[in-house]
Amino acid sequence: MNHGFKPTAYYRPGSLGEAVALLSNFGAKARLIAGGTDLLVEKPPGIESLIDVAGLNLSYLRKEEGSIHIGAATTVDLVETSPLLTGWPYQVLTEAAGSMATPTIRNMATIGGNICNGSPAADLSLALMVLDASVKLIGPKGQRTLPLKDFHGGVNRTARREDELLAEIQIPWSPGAGGASFLKLRRHQTAVDVAVVNVATRLNCVNGRCMDVKIALGSVAEKQILAQSAQNLLNERIVTSERIREAAECAAEEARPISDVRASANYRKRMVTVLVKRSLETSARRCRGCRN
Amino acid sequence: MPELSIRICVNGEWHELKVRPDERLVDSLRERLGLTGTKVGCGEGECGACTVNINGKAILSCLTLAVQAHGKQIVTIEGLRRGTELHPLQKTFADEGAVQCGFCTPGMIVAADAMLKKNPDPSEGEVRKTLSNNLCRCTGYDKPVKAILQAARILRGGNHE
Repeated sequence: MNHGFKPTAYYRPGSLGEAVALLSNFGAKARLIAGGTDLLVEKPPGIESLIDVAGLNLSYLRKEEGSIHIGAATTVDLVETSPLLTGWPYQVLTEAAGSMATPTIRNMATIGGNICNGSPAADLSLALMVLDASVKLIGPKGQRTLPLKDFHGGVNRTARREDELLAEIQIPWSPGAGGASFLKLRRHQTAVDVAVVNVATRLNCVNGRCMDVKIALGSVAEKQILAQSAQNLLNERIVTSERIREAAECAAEEARPISDVRASANYRKRMVTVLVKRSLETSARRCRGCRN
Repeated sequence: MPELSIRICVNGEWHELKVRPDERLVDSLRERLGLTGTKVGCGEGECGACTVNINGKAILSCLTLAVQAHGKQIVTIEGLRRGTELHPLQKTFADEGAVQCGFCTPGMIVAADAMLKKNPDPSEGEVRKTLSNNLCRCTGYDKPVKAILQAARILRGGNHE
């Protein structure tokens, strides 16, 4: 391999405790490896040790104690095809998983890697935001759980400490709690490319009145954000197409995109309006309590 | 650099190898085992020329470390043939003229093989999605898509047309 990426040691710990001890020992000179689809492209210099999560039994999807639990090392293809995620609003996660990269990369990449990479464009992470997901981190002093929306810290930065390991993603289980939708704009819709803009929404209505709405925006700020003001325009109100349009325009005002090789900031803002409007309309169609 | 001992099963045969911690699976296959059918195109997961099947799933051997494959079953393009008989995918790629320079072909065939084992009767759209990680810079996708659909018919035991 090229440049400064020359790890000289490889570990495959058999327990979480062992993995955390290795992380504590090596600090910034070690990196966790799961699917490898980010690490072996990025090839960060100065890494001496690789710690493989393959032996930690972190590949699972199960429902228990009022939550869906997903092991951090579960590959994206298993998320995409999980029978646990076939009803709304949970199916939004399979939509996001199915749009990520290519089928071959989805066979390798993991849901935990998608989150820990800290990309503002991470597809699965965006869907998890609207499902109120939390992440469970294991460190030398024990474990902590925090909402995913508080985990993101900016481009390639997260709240994960150097000696912590993301073990599990948890999604509260409340079946029938609204409809949801994930949409992604790419330069070429079949290419191995990250989103120009991606959006996830969830809408939970009772008798046409919005009880809870989430609008998550990706690739339009230094981290993924929930468009709070746009959400406030819909919360506790009757959902109409006019209000959806207003919320979509409001969401674009909350976006703070940059111009880069993929698109200009201005174009991204305009696409936020389009995608949020379409996504909310789709979520409304999938929500049993919506009337429009 | 320290070396690690691994055991991998490639095309039905177990191999004990000593590999470096940073060694890519594709390099072990090509340089240690002489299986040069698997190609390296971009080395970054974009082109799919290095596709092999691990435990029945298509993966990219340029983004997999050799040590990660320890204990696993790997199938490369060389493993599809039965004796002197070509695999139906290899035959239909030849018959349809789905090969020009041939650099992307092993990856396409191996990815298609994994897909057909899960989905013996794919639609054209499903075949195209399967090939979305395999870049061809010569000729395009129409002939490979036709070849895969034809191989699927043969494997199902249907009309050879």
